[in-house]
Order: sequence, then C-alpha cells, then structure tokens
Amino acid sequence: MLENLETAMFYILVMASTLAMLLYLIWLGTKKEFIGQLATYLTIVALIANIMAIILRMITSGHPPLSNGFEFILTFVGGIIAVYLFAEYRYKLRALGAFVMPIPFLLLMFIIMKMGPEERIAQAIPPALKSQWLTFHVVTAMFAYGAFAVSFGLGAMYLIKLSKEGTQKNSNQQGIVSRFPPLDRLDELAYKVVGFAFPLLTLCIITGAIWANYAWGTYWSWDPKETWSLITWIIYAGYLHARLMYGWKGKRAAWLAIFGFAAVLFTFFGVNYLLAGLHSYAS
Amino acid sequence: MEENSKDLSERIWRAFSSMKLGLALLGIIALVSGIGTIVPQLEQAPEKAKQLGQIWQWMGITHLYNTVWFRLLLGLLCINLIVCSIQRLKGIYLRTFKLKPPTTLEQVPLKIRLTLKGESAQLRESVQTVLKQKGYRFSLSNQSDWSFIAIKRRLGNWGSLITHLSFVVLVIGALLGSLFGFKGSFMEGAGTTFPIQEIQLSKGKVSETFDVRINSAEDRFLPNGERDNWYTDMSILENGQEVSRQTLSVNHPFKYHGITFYQANFANGVSYTIDMKGKKTSVVLRDQGQSYFQAPGTELYLVTAIKSGSSQKADVLYQVYKGTEEKPIQAGQLTTGQTIDVQGTYQLTFNGLAGFTGLQVKKDPGVAIIWLGCVLLVVGLILAFYWQPIVISGIIQSEDGVQGNLTTGALSGKMTANSQAALERMVDSVSKLLK
Ligand code: HEM
Repeated sequence: MLENLETAMFYILVMASTLAMLLYLIWLGTKKEFIGQLATYLTIVALIANIMAIILRMITSGHPPLSNGFEFILTFVGGIIAVYLFAEYRYKLRALGAFVMPIPFLLLMFIIMKMGPEERIAQAIPPALKSQWLTFHVVTAMFAYGAFAVSFGLGAMYLIKLSKEGTQKNSNQQGIVSRFPPLDRLDELAYKVVGFAFPLLTLCIITGAIWANYAWGTYWSWDPKETWSLITWIIYAGYLHARLMYGWKGKRAAWLAIFGFAAVLFTFFGVNYLLAGLHSYAS
Repeated sequence: MEENSKDLSERIWRAFSSMKLGLALLGIIALVSGIGTIVPQLEQAPEKAKQLGQIWQWMGITHLYNTVWFRLLLGLLCINLIVCSIQRLKGIYLRTFKLKPPTTLEQVPLKIRLTLKGESAQLRESVQTVLKQKGYRFSLSNQSDWSFIAIKRRLGNWGSLITHLSFVVLVIGALLGSLFGFKGSFMEGAGTTFPIQEIQLSKGKVSETFDVRINSAEDRFLPNGERDNWYTDMSILENGQEVSRQTLSVNHPFKYHGITFYQANFANGVSYTIDMKGKKTSVVLRDQGQSYFQAPGTELYLVTAIKSGSSQKADVLYQVYKGTEEKPIQAGQLTTGQTIDVQGTYQLTFNGLAGFTGLQVKKDPGVAIIWLGCVLLVVGLILAFYWQPIVISGIIQSEDGVQGNLTTGALSGKMTANSQAALERMVDSVSKLLK
C-alpha cells in the first residue's frame, strides 16, 4: 500500500518536473506570464512529491534514504529542486529554471532508463550505515549539491548572455537573454550560492569523516569517493579565491562553476560506475 | 653578502605569501589526488598495484598519498597558509577593532553612498540612535566635521584567517597520527586469547603489551530477519588479569588506553577441543576452510565447513590433510558434542558453532587535533560566508553650523547587495527619526 503510494509519488515527480522544465523553456521564448507561473507551480508539485516519496521510503524501510543509488539520486533531485525554488523566489529569477530543471530531469531519466525495479526497492542496510552522522552527511550533501547545481545554472546563463550580447544583436535571441538579470548580478548570485554551499560541502565531508572514524577507525582513507569529494572541494575553493584575487569574476568564474559541478557529478556517478572503492555499496 | 641573504629571504617570503602559489599548490594536490583514484593504490588494491612496474612503485605512484613528495606538497601549502595569515593578521585586526571614522568626504566609500539633509544636531542624534538600535558598534570623531564609522558582525573578518589556520591544524593532526599511531586488524574466534603485538599491522608499530581475549562473537538478527549488528564481547588482560571488558559492535567501538577496537567483519566458525596426549587445547576454525589447525609436531592439517544447524545443535563437515597431498586422508561429519580420533594422533571434540570476529585496531594520537581542525574549519567558514561584516561610515558637513549634510557609505565587501541593503535600511530609519 505505502509502496504503491511511493511509486505513484515517484511518477508524479517525474511528470511534474519534466513538464516544469518544458514550460520554463517555453516561457523563456514566449514571455507568457501564465506559462511561467504554471512552471513554478509544477516545480512545487515536484518538490512535494519528491519529499513524500522520500518520507514514504523512510517509513517503509525504517532508515534514512541511503541504502542504494536510487535513494541517493532521489535525495539529490530533492536538494536541487528545493534550492532552485528558494533561489527563484528569493531573487525573482524564473529564467534560471530553464537551466536548472534539466538536471533533475536527466537524473530521473537515468533512474528510469538504467535502473531496474530490483535496483529501486529499499534494501537492508549493512550495520556500518546505522549512524546518526550519516543522516547529517546526507542532508548536507543534498543541499550542497543542490546549490552547486543552481550555481551551474547561473554560470551557464552568464556564459550564454555574455556570448549573445558580445556577438550578434539579433533581436529574437536578444529577447531571450534580456530576461536574464545583468551579467554582474548573475556573477554575484553564483558567488553567493557557492558561498552558501561551500560550508555545507565541508560539513558533508567532515560528517563523513566522523562516521568513517566510528565505523572503520579511519577518518580518511583516500578511497575514490572521498578523494573526489576533496577534489570538488578544492575546485570550489579555487573558485572562491580566483574570484577574490585576480578579479577572475565573470567568464572564468562561470566556467569554474560549471567545472565544479562536473566534479560533483563525477563524484556522484563516475566514482560509483567507473571507479570502485569502499563506497561500492552505494552503487 | 648580508644584503644578498636578506634579499633572498625576502624573496622567499614574498613567494610564499602569494595566493598564486597557494592556488597552484591546491591545483597540483587536486591533480595528484585524482591520479591516485585511477592508478591502483597499494592500500586499496594491493594485487593490482603490485602488477605495475618497479619504477612506478619506486616513484610512489602506487602509494601516492603516503609519499614524501605528497607530504612535501601539503607542507608547502601549510607554509604558504601560515605566511599569508601572518601577513594579513594586522590588517584584519585594524579592520575589526581599530576602525577610524572618516575625516574627509573622500574617505566615505563612494560605490555605495547615500546622502541626507537635516538639522546637524538632530542628524547626529538620530544616527547614533539608529546605529545602537541596529546593533552596530561605532566610534565617533569630532575633529573638523562630525563623523562616524560603524561595524556589525565584525568577527566575520576573521573567517578566512581561521579557515586557513584550520587547514594547518588538520595537516598537523594527520602528521601526528602517521608518526605515532598504528593501524592493524585481526580475525579471531570466540574463546581465543592473544597478545596485542600479534595483530596484523598495516601502519606503524605497537608498543603496548596487553593481551586480548575474545569472550564471544555473535551475528544477531532482528525479528524481521534483517541483520541487527555484529557483537563482540572482549576483554583486555594485563599480566593475565582482566582490566577491562566491553561489548562492541559496528559503529560502537571500544577504547582502551588510546587504542580503539572497531567491529569491522564477522564470519562463522566452529569450536573444537583437541586432546593430544592428554594436553587439551581449544581452537576455532573458520567456515569453508578459511583457516586450519596444524597439530603440533605433525603434518596434519584440519579444516572445516558448517553444514547446518544453530549454535546449540549443529552439524559440521571436517577434513584432515596430510602435508601437501591433494586428497584428504580423513573426512566426515560431526554433530555437537561428538568426539572422534584423528589418525591416532589426537582426539577431536566438536563443541558447537562459534563466531569469528574481525576487528580493526587503531591508535591515532592525532584524532583530537583533527576534530579541533574540523571545528575551526566550520567556524571559520560560517564566519566567512554566513556572518559577513557590514561597515558603514558617514560624515556630516555643515555650512552654517545648523543645517547639515549627512553623507554615508558602506564598504562593499564581498556581497555588494547586502551592504547596499544595510545602508539603505539605516538611512531609511534615520530619516524616519528626523520627521
Ligand atoms: C586549504 C586551502 C584553502 C582553503 C579551504 C581556503 C579557504 C578560504 C576561504 C573560505 C576564504 C574566504 C573566501 C570568500 O570569502 O569568498 C578564503 C579567502 C582567502 N584566502 Fe584562502 N583558502 C585556502 C588556501 C589559501 C591559500 C594557499 C592562500 C594564499 C596563500 C589563501 C589566501 C586567501 C586570501 C588572501 C583570502 C582573502 C581573504 C579575504 O579577503 O577576506 N588561501 N580562503
């Protein structure tokens, strides 16, 4: 019964976020206020369905959503949508939706195309995963990764606006990017979002270390997942410094934000599917 | 000559105070770490790592994170961070505690600026009231024109400094651990006693001399069939005397004199008593022949496998091999309590099933420093990003001594919009008071 409800929530999430993504894209082109509002409402529906699915999963399995890749992705998607909605509301930035919402869409498509039903069901968790620290670990990861996805979207917007403004004055394309905030506003927003996420990523790594120390007696063992989260951390530290120092604002900072998110995705997928390690239970 | 050496040390100092070097080091560290996730490392995949050539091993590519030159990189980064911090210390101190009110209009920040007209005395009053109300600390000057400078969330200035030093603390903690700690593991059956010095070490040396006794090892399940946890009841013996006893499980380690035992693994085992010419010894052998017993002074090897049953009543299979012969010279099945004769050499009694527990053992005197570094890191980052200072200054200029012109400005800091908003709020409140 609850399992069926959870499945229903999952498909509502898939449909609502797919539609929302399409509507954000259409809204960019048509400027119809109604479409934009609908896109926002659908994103809210997607978030609610996502949270419901996670809660139902936690009720039926009795532990935080981290026993397999399916649950991780679901949590990741929830983080992205939550941080995105906050940014849209706070900065009145609906255009961002067209750049951020494709990410949860692709993640959900990955689940649908690549994960069979047996990979999606709740699994018993090994004793090592029974720790409160792990809950913090997942919550901080969820918001940090969600925010990095948003900064990726902002970076992409920046680069597109820059190239359109720099080259042609074609009125139609100008029309789309004219909905974007000014370049330096985009740049500062991206910095703000990274500044929000960086301490969270740090906390995520630290809570992971505390937990590993409890479970295995080593706070850091250089397994690929840990190492890649450190590399991600260094890239974003580089972003923060480069921005302060050489006045690497704008274009290069935007590329770094995109690069950083690529590292986030690699930490998430690449390590599970391409490299093996201690975290192999996560795949 | 003296000039030269001074020149050199200055040049070195300057090189180490540059953020460019810092970023380059961070970049190299990231790159090297990344390579370590692609090339098999001795710690994680020893067999694969050994297949790589000698040269790779000699260069340290197969144990990157333990090489001298990786540590050198971390060391250089630490020096870099310390030099940077020393250089910035005074500036941060002045910007936090010794703010000077502007003496001329030019000293009021230009980028974010607002002005207000009013009666001078009233302006002064209102500005002070509002600053107090909004929780700013401020200092005033009456030199030629009345002026003020105010700061809120001033500790935020220290965020990046604390963050940088926390990284140095972390590296020191890690170094202490690798110099004075050890890491090892053992896999032993219930009922065995052994000296701590005999565990398999992967790092460091054991200087302690106590014994460890495994009282019991259990694999417990919840009523719904899921695994609850693995439990090990163990004792520490000093000179044969029990000095400490504890049950540990995964995520619930046990600590004795700075040495921590972690439940890491579990296997099923079989408990036997071996009676060899009246001398009884008990051994626990792992399931599926993963461990063996060699009768002292013979070439007889005993292995075992669990067939069925619970801890009370069980059936096991046993095999006895002689030397390197491929076929067992004796084999059979036993039930709990049964005794048989093995090759006329010893009597074998099957006592029942017993757990085999795998524990990690670690001593790391650097861990406390690591946690201190983590706390500093988090505090530093929170100050740097969630507690950014706002600095507002202003000056009142007056032509006739009665009517005045208040010019205020905010330091733009890293998030211009926040400073702008704070200044607007302040000027707004002041103008409300004026009415
Ligand atoms: C482990 C590596 C490092 C970490 C985690 C780190 C972290 C930080 C953080 C979080 C900030 C604040 C940034 C912001 O507010 O946007 C910062 C600022 C800064 N960092 Fe680093 N940093 C590291 C290495 C370095 C190195 C190697 C140097 C130079 C030698 C350096 C020099 C600076 C400077 C000059 C600032 C500007 C401070 C300010 O304007 O308040 N950092 N760092």
